Amino acid sequence: MSVTCELAAPFVATSAVDGKPVVRAFRSHTESCLKCQARHAAMAKAARELSAMAGESQDAPRDLEWRVMSSLDGDLAVARSIRKPVALVAAGLSMAAALIIWRLRPRPQS
Amino acid sequence: MPTPEVEREKEKELIARAQGGDRAAFAALVRAHQNEVYTLARRLVGDPHLAADVAQETLIRAWRALPRFRGESALSTWLHRITVNTAWTHKKRAKRHRDVSIDEVADLADLPGANTPEVAGEMIELRGRLRVALDELPDSQRQVVILKDVYGWSHSEIASAMDISVTAAKVRLHRARARLVRSLEESA
Repeated sequence: MSVTCELAAPFVATSAVDGKPVVRAFRSHTESCLKCQARHAAMAKAARELSAMAGESQDAPRDLEWRVMSSLDGDLAVARSIRKPVALVAAGLSMAAALIIWRLRPRPQS
Repeated sequence: MPTPEVEREKEKELIARAQGGDRAAFAALVRAHQNEVYTLARRLVGDPHLAADVAQETLIRAWRALPRFRGESALSTWLHRITVNTAWTHKKRAKRHRDVSIDEVADLADLPGANTPEVAGEMIELRGRLRVALDELPDSQRQVVILKDVYGWSHSEIASAMDISVTAAKVRLHRARARLVRSLEESA
């Protein structure tokens, strides 16, 4: 195989996949090179197979939905577990603030 | 059988309900899209167990990001983008598993267009070689080929999802296709 075939390979592949002519720099070589033409044909076939793959789908594992939804339960559980301490801290801070205000209240002078 | 329009309306309604926190609606969306998310994940990362983890994380990320989904693209396109990002994150953490499983070979038997045993045989053979050739590509190149040549994404969509420049996406594709053509040739 010549050096030119190797240099042309990416352009041959791209031409086959995109259905466009090979770039001008390699066109005269590829038009007369059986190796490059065989590569072009193989890659065009492969490209059709690749695009056919888009319509195919594989079955997800049966427990995927369960795994996802139970993870969301975990999210909610975390949210709930945070909610209670936050409420307690807020209540404590309110009580402390009320106490400080009460202690610092202006007192009538006797 | 419901028309695609009815399906779209139904999906819109499910999305709106899920955005409001309705988990039953989100579960219905998961059921509708889990196969395509898993399929893309499988193609991007190869290993079925890792693909299941990627699909799971993708759908959890989707739930968390759903309030920000404005419906500018189809839900499936939006999920594909999250899948690519998640796969990319996972691949950085996990070493790639290269084995081709029996299951993978088995699903080649049900190819569309394989009308005769000869054609089916040829398609199975080519598809098998193609999968091996794809699997042998470096991760970054394989992902670009999958997104461009299987899913038909544009260079700019790929660049944005993979956080690379459009030029880098084009270069990777160029190199990947050259490698693919050589691998197919060697395996013929």
